[in-house]
Amino acid sequence: MAGSSSKSGGRGPSSSPLPHAVAPPSRPLRPSRYVPVSAATFFLVGSTTLFFCFTCPWLSERFSVAVPIYNGVIFLFVLANFCMATFMDPGIFPRAEEDEDKEDDFRAPLYKTVEIRGIQVRMKWCSTCRFYRPPRCSHCSVCDNCVEEFDHHCPWVNNCIGRRNYRYFFLFLLSLTAHIMAVFGFGLLFILYHRQSIDRLHAIVTLAVMCVAGLFFIPVAGLTGFHVVLVARGRTTNEQVTGKFRGGVNPFTNGCWKNVSHVLCSSQAPRYLGRKRCVQSVSVQPPFLRPQLTEAQLAAKILDNGIQGDLHRSKSSLEMMESQSCDAEAPPPPKPELRYPGITRENTEECSLLNKAPPTPTMYKYRPSYSPGKNHTALTHAYANQLSRGESTGSARDSSSSTSSLLQASQQPGFRSQPSLDRREAPADRAGGGPGADRREGGRESGGMPGYSLGGRSYPSFSDASVLSGGASRSSSSTHTSAGAAHVSEATTASASFKSLANQTPPPHRNGSLSYDNLLAGGDGLKDTAAPELSSGKPCAVVGGGFNTPFLSQPREVDLQSPHHHHHRSSHHHHPFLHRSSSSTSSSPPPPPERERLLVDPHLPPGPQSSGPAPQPAPHHHHHHHHHHHHHSHHHHSTSRPPRFAAPHAPPHHAYPYRTRSTDTPLGSASNTCQSSHSPHPPPLGKSLSYSSAAAAEMQYRLVRKASASAGANAAGAGGGGGMGGGAVQAPKDELIHMKRTNGDQPFSCSTPSSPSHPSPAHKPLGGSVKKVTGVGGTTYEISV
Amino acid sequence: MSEFHNLQELRRSASLANKVFIQRDYSEGTACRFQTKFPSELESRIERTLFEDTVKTLNTFYAEAEKIGGQSYLEGCLACATAYLIFLCMETRYEKVLKKIAKYIQEQNEKIYAPRGLLITDPIERGMRVIEVSIYEDRGSSGSSSGSSSVSVSTAR
Repeated sequence: MAGSSSKSGGRGPSSSPLPHAVAPPSRPLRPSRYVPVSAATFFLVGSTTLFFCFTCPWLSERFSVAVPIYNGVIFLFVLANFCMATFMDPGIFPRAEEDEDKEDDFRAPLYKTVEIRGIQVRMKWCSTCRFYRPPRCSHCSVCDNCVEEFDHHCPWVNNCIGRRNYRYFFLFLLSLTAHIMAVFGFGLLFILYHRQSIDRLHAIVTLAVMCVAGLFFIPVAGLTGFHVVLVARGRTTNEQVTGKFRGGVNPFTNGCWKNVSHVLCSSQAPRYLGRKRCVQSVSVQPPFLRPQLTEAQLAAKILDNGIQGDLHRSKSSLEMMESQSCDAEAPPPPKPELRYPGITRENTEECSLLNKAPPTPTMYKYRPSYSPGKNHTALTHAYANQLSRGESTGSARDSSSSTSSLLQASQQPGFRSQPSLDRREAPADRAGGGPGADRREGGRESGGMPGYSLGGRSYPSFSDASVLSGGASRSSSSTHTSAGAAHVSEATTASASFKSLANQTPPPHRNGSLSYDNLLAGGDGLKDTAAPELSSGKPCAVVGGGFNTPFLSQPREVDLQSPHHHHHRSSHHHHPFLHRSSSSTSSSPPPPPERERLLVDPHLPPGPQSSGPAPQPAPHHHHHHHHHHHHHSHHHHSTSRPPRFAAPHAPPHHAYPYRTRSTDTPLGSASNTCQSSHSPHPPPLGKSLSYSSAAAAEMQYRLVRKASASAGANAAGAGGGGGMGGGAVQAPKDELIHMKRTNGDQPFSCSTPSSPSHPSPAHKPLGGSVKKVTGVGGTTYEISV
Repeated sequence: MSEFHNLQELRRSASLANKVFIQRDYSEGTACRFQTKFPSELESRIERTLFEDTVKTLNTFYAEAEKIGGQSYLEGCLACATAYLIFLCMETRYEKVLKKIAKYIQEQNEKIYAPRGLLITDPIERGMRVIEVSIYEDRGSSGSSSGSSSVSVSTAR
């Protein structure tokens, strides 16, 4: 149908003409998406038309006129539901605006846990849409949208099935089954009465129609039965297929009868896109009324010299506690000007909810925050904290656009000249990075489910943020004049000032752009963020994990581009973990791969690298950007953990800016496995580890071990992409573990790994100095050895 | 004192200082409910009871919209019978309630929130994921934080 194609192509801005609802960006037209829906339409309409033309006249004469009328009514019903299922907005969430996740930057967790009827449900951060996905919401990679109560992406209607149109889809299936049965049955009746004149045109056509009907009956009836069961159980296809409630309790069910009535009888849910925006006609004019302060509040205000106001401004109190609670490691002592006894810190609901869930370090995942363009350095700056507070402060002052209240607050406690919501700067095109990864992931998933494209991203993608943070940290110490630098420096200052407040107040600006910016701008972007750091002046090469090994050398930049292709290919060769993780949001599978990837990076730069791993994150973002489709980009939600653990050595925490950690990782088990085996594959260290604390080092070590344990699978899957031989892989791992052990004790001494049997991976531009390890999501990390 | 300073300006304007997002309350499932927890950023701007009343009223509105009862059932049957053409003419129950909600929010803004330098944004514009409360500061005052604190101190007197 022409309509379907227009609808599918128009899921972008055309479907939401008014700008207020941030519509998902329009995607390129892909003719192949319309093949199934066109075929379905063709068969449906064509066969039914033939049936009405050739079979029904005789039937109406022979039996009664009710036959064609009945068939006509059912066919009309089928068509109506088909059109509704095809053209109706399934419940797409508009992209969150910039200011909504001001506190959800790279230091914010990848998952937020919420309790639904006593059952803990994880809400994952959607890096494309920039919000935590509500329960039962999933991001469709085909449509590149988060859909409410996402069921599946149906290729036959070329649309997602979600909250708003599930009813029509279900009714379409029911009516289509009835229609097929009716056509087949009446056709059979016709044939039985025309056995003698079977060679007449009418009979032949009827036979053909019967064949088509019979052919389609089996899958359609099967699907119908499947959905009847789903509706009765109150589950979505996504939940059923990913086994979310297998053996568990479904918190969304209200009993069979209520589930059915909810699907069929509930009022039509409203659409979120394309709504008429009501212009805010209420004007806000000072003077403002203020509530009467209690004595206690007044005393607190006098005490804090206005800091409290700054703190409120810095981060939403509702969100702040969440991140804090997710931080399992004890934060360093807060800066004196930011901690005041008079300030009341409420334990938010969410905080308490989160506290119920075990806040293990592994739960803590940093969400990717990449915003191509402006603020790419901001993220990294947040992690530059330990390094150069003074420098960052200085650079922050240099920034032209420093309007961050945080910045001002940190510099001049209690005084703010012009408070402004400085979040607009975060580029909105950050979302650009998501679609590619989403799409790719969706493509992978659909292979396993003919007829269904789950299209949901079930595993987090590593945020370029981590890379960014690594890079930014470098740049923080140097003065920047770019807007990104400004943001970064602000962020750094803010983070530097606030870094002691663990996971608090991420830089007010979007810190996500670094990756995309780097990828887009190639060396330029990298230079912006990291070049100053590198004495050599080379742009930060995106190393898979933000490595900043002593062996970091020029080749890394060169490798920047080449790995991308491998990533593309390797993304499809993910070890089973990834596939599992992609298809299920259940705990175990995703965490290990993520962690592995995380662990790839942290080759902490030892002495030689003065500025630290700043360049690494940038390159990483770089090839994130190149591979939109890499779901690994989603993995890089993590922002560098380093800030939390004031690493004694500057380099370390830069090395792991964007590690994302899976929420519930069986660290212990993983580490045990790693410990026992010297797996020949390099553990894709995804975590930026700049822990100075012993706990941090210990955790890191466990992560490394775990990564090496799963590295086997990684390497197997990533063999094509990573191009690393077993021997070559071995070396980095050894080196890695060695480095890990020394973490926290002394500056990293990157021991040269035992000579790898494999001299160099495919991409190594220079002789055997760069190893490529493919991590989760197809990210290829280059380890200079 | 900053207040007197501000009086020198003929026209005082407010600028957006911060936004607070009231998240959804999923403790009872995916039905639309918002948390009634009072965010600390609003502590100095509005009385707790006023705010909680607003959120609770919104919650009842949404519960009414999503109620599965006679009206919604009839609506569904009618839609089926007319091959969903009725949606072209008729407004669904949910939409009707959404209009009520918009009116309520507008009225709350006019009466309660704007005088306190706050604005509530209809959650439907955010995909019903959050209620956005915009906090405005008096731009005329010297230093927003000090201005606000000084104002609060003076009012507390």
